[in-house]
This record gives sequence, structure tokens and C-alpha cells, in this order.
Amino acid sequence: MSLTKEDALSKAQKDLAKRLNVEESSIKEKSTDEVDFPDMALGAGTEDEMSGQMLTRGWRIRLDSAGKTFEYRADKNQVRLFNFKGKNYKI
Amino acid sequence: MNRNNFLPHVALALVLILVAAFAGQLRRWQKQWKSQVRIIPAEKKHPATIDEIALTDSLHLGRPEILVRFKPGVSEETIDRITSQLNDRVEDRIENAPGLDAIDDLDNEDATELVAQYSKMPEVEYAEENYEISLPDAVEGPLVPVLPHDPQFSDQWALSNEGQRGGKKGADISAPLAWATTTGSDKVVVAVLDSGVDYNHADLVNNMWVRPANLPPYHDDDLGIIDDVNGFDAIDNSSDPMDDNGHGTHCAGIIGAEGSNDIGIAGVDWKVQIMPLKFMNAGGFGTTKDAIEAINYVIERKKAGVNVRIISASWGSTQKSRALEDIIRKAYEEGILFVAAAGNASTNNDRAPHFPSSYNVPNVVSVAALDRNDQLASFSNYGPKSVAIAAPGVDILSTWLGNEYEEKSGTSMATPVVAGVAALVLANEPGLTVDELKKKLLTSVDKLDSLNGKVTSGGRINAAKAVE
Repeated sequence: MSLTKEDALSKAQKDLAKRLNVEESSIKEKSTDEVDFPDMALGAGTEDEMSGQMLTRGWRIRLDSAGKTFEYRADKNQVRLFNFKGKNYKI
Repeated sequence: MNRNNFLPHVALALVLILVAAFAGQLRRWQKQWKSQVRIIPAEKKHPATIDEIALTDSLHLGRPEILVRFKPGVSEETIDRITSQLNDRVEDRIENAPGLDAIDDLDNEDATELVAQYSKMPEVEYAEENYEISLPDAVEGPLVPVLPHDPQFSDQWALSNEGQRGGKKGADISAPLAWATTTGSDKVVVAVLDSGVDYNHADLVNNMWVRPANLPPYHDDDLGIIDDVNGFDAIDNSSDPMDDNGHGTHCAGIIGAEGSNDIGIAGVDWKVQIMPLKFMNAGGFGTTKDAIEAINYVIERKKAGVNVRIISASWGSTQKSRALEDIIRKAYEEGILFVAAAGNASTNNDRAPHFPSSYNVPNVVSVAALDRNDQLASFSNYGPKSVAIAAPGVDILSTWLGNEYEEKSGTSMATPVVAGVAALVLANEPGLTVDELKKKLLTSVDKLDSLNGKVTSGGRINAAKAVE
């Protein structure tokens, strides 16, 4: 399965709504930028995870909920939540 | 004839016969002498590599000798007359090139002057010195760089940087000069511990490790028997390490894309055996446990007799694992070098370690990345105490899934460059211990100002120095 930018955004919005226990419609897209992440875990590796050390093209998705900003990172293979309460998550 | 003249005539005839006989003997002696001169073997040369044949005029066998092509229609008698007038002689007539004669000069005249003399003659089409074709001394003479026949080689700045695309000429690992000594060996096995390898890629297929027929399938007490014909997949504990990401295939091509095969690119090693191991999934990440499982596989195969001497590990994280460190130490005890990516966070590994490259185990070689101008890549981790060496790692062209090629950047790309050079060294010196091999790599660098205080060796790997 190869994710598009829209797929990644949709997955991120659903995930955040669920985590915050809010309506998905209340999650707003602040920005989605194409960037190079430092590794294949998109610079958001989880515990006990090793990743290829190759620069990886993807999207940095910033979402807003009630005035707070949350960062998701995605590429064609994956979506990750970056630094949520001090931890990273694979979606 | 009257009787009074008979005796003087007989005496004269006898004298003439004796003179003729003596002259004939002289000619035979001369012929013998000449034939002896001709069979003196040329001075024995050390073996040399292809493309090293050079023309030299420094080793004439004691007399100037030239090749003269006379114009069509010039008779042999005319040629003999001309050479005789100059006190030269025709040493040989080349049967398949009418009019072409090898001419000796009996006055020991300079060959260049002799050529000039003959060139002016109306009977002569051309004249040239008879250069001696020799193989330069591979030990004492300078090595001649060897270039592969691979259509995309000119894009491989890491191997030979001619300043292409704004790069700095010479900011490379001096691969062509190393190849004058060795292009690798299919007796050296390098384990690519990664997302697997596309072992069917046309530029890799001939350099892939295949389990020898006399080696039993892999047996693990917990996993059972795995028919590891093409390697090992530690994610599924299966026998198929096919790459579904591309990262492992890219790393494999940097080490050992078949060289001079008229396809794609050349690896650091034209000939090598790449053992594909899969522990990272299609996304390019995997677990510590699967990495350990794959390293254990390598150790077991080494114990079973496979000459796997290097693990190339283009991955990592900031999570420290004692178990991973222990298995890498075990690999050291088995004589296996562990080349690891320093990481891509632009940080100092001395302060914020990156694993496995920061493990303090003797077989670990931590690798930083350089760009095409010999500058530390903006993303590359560094560490004067914990990062050993640097290698090209930006815009590196290599093999990709589906018989494709792609340019990628990262310490992931720098790592297999060093692993590949290590394999070249072992091709040249198979008996080196892992400690000797590591020392060889770290002392075979080009020191760079840009790496001063950034990596332990202070330099970029130089393959030519490493195989000296």
C-alpha cells in the first residue's frame, strides 16, 4: 500500500481525534509540508526500533486542536505521531 | 692452359676456396650470434593488471633498431643497397606486411636520427623506432588507474570524483587506483543486514551469496530448519530475504554491484559475495530482536565455514541495547567486522550516542557521511571519540528495486562504502585479523580539515591506500 499526502492527512486527523477523544471535524490542518526526514523512521523512531539511516522524503503534517499543535510525519509507507507527551507512535 | 701455368692456378684456386670457406664460417658465426641475441628473454616483470600496458623506449637490447616501411614496388635489392650504404642491415622482413623491414644500425647510431634519415628517403613510406612493449613494474612503478565498463560509472562521484555536478575533483575514495591492485574476490562474503536485497537485480545477481551445496540448511534450536539458499529473513524467520523497501538493495549495490559488466554501475568490489539478511520491513525499520537474530545467523554461518568477514549495518537508533552489544561482541570474537552508520541527526555521538555505531566493541567501525566537496554532510552525526571514519554519503547512485537505480543520501550510504573497501582489503590480504583489518581502514585515510575534531581518524577512507 502506498500512501498519498491526502491519505496520510486523513489518517493523522482520525488518530488525533481518537487520542484526544474529540470530534474529527474539530481537528484542523495547520500545514502540510514536503520535507526530508533524517531516517526511515522519519526521525520519530519508537522504543526498540532500528531504522535505515537514509534521508527519506515525506510530509510534515501539523494539526491543530483547541489551540494546541500536534505534529505527524508520514511518507508513502507510514504515518507517525511525533513527540506526543514525550513519545513517538507508529499509526 | 699450358703446363707452366697449372700449378699457380691450382694454388690460387685453393686460396680462393679457403677464403670462401672462412667467409662462410664467419657468416655462420654471425648468424649464431644474432640468433643468440634474439632469444635473450626480456627482463622478467612483475605481474600487472589490464590497461597497464605501456610503450617504453628505454629497454633496447643494446642497439638502435627501427621499423621501416618501404613504398610498394621498392625491391629487396634496392632496400639492401640503401641499408648497406648506411652501414645498416635488414634484420627481418615482415612477411605479412610487404615492404616492412626491421633494420639494425651497425654504427650504433641514435634511433631517432636513424628514423629521421630513413623518413626523408623517397623510397620510404614511413620509419619509426622499434619501441619495446613492456608491462610496467607493478611493484616499483606507479599504478595505472583501472576504469570499469559500466554506463553510469561517471555518475559515481564517490568512486571517482572528476568534479562532476559541482563536486571537488579528487574528493573520492580513489577506487580506480585501488582496482589496479584488486577488484575484489568472490571468496569474501559481506553480510548486508538490512531490508533484504533484491537478489535478482541484474547488476547484483552474479555477486550474491548462495548457500553452497555442501553446506546444510540453517538450523536454529528455536526456529528449526530454514532452507537459507539465498540468505535469511529474520522478520518471518524464513529463507527469503527479498527486499521490499529498496534500502538494502541500494546498500548492496554500493558494496558489490558487478563491475565492468556493461550494466548500470560498479560496486566498490567488482567481485564479492553479498549475503542478504532481512530484519527491516517495507517501511525501512525493524526491531532490535530481529537484528540480533540476523547477526546470530551470520555468526553461525561463519562457524559453519562461510567466509563471512564483514557485516554492513546501515541502520540504528538512540536506544541502547545490551543484548545487541553482546551479539556484536560475539561477532568480533568470530573475526567479523561490524561497519555501522553514525546516524543522520547532525549531532555529536560522543555526547548523544547512536547505536549500534557507538558501542565500544573493537570490531565496530562507525561511519560519518561526506558530500561531493569533502565536507561533512549537513545531516551526518560525528564524534571525535566515537565516530571512526568518513565516506561519501550524499547523492550516491546505486541499485534499486525492479532493476532500477536511484540516488540516495545518508550515513546509510557511507557505511557500505567502508564495508566495500574492507572487502577489497580482504581480497588482497585474506589472512588479516579483524583488528588488523580495522586498523588498516582507519590508517588508510585522506586527512581532511573538514573532519578535524569530527572523526577519530580525521579522514575520508581511501581504497587505494587500504590495498597498498
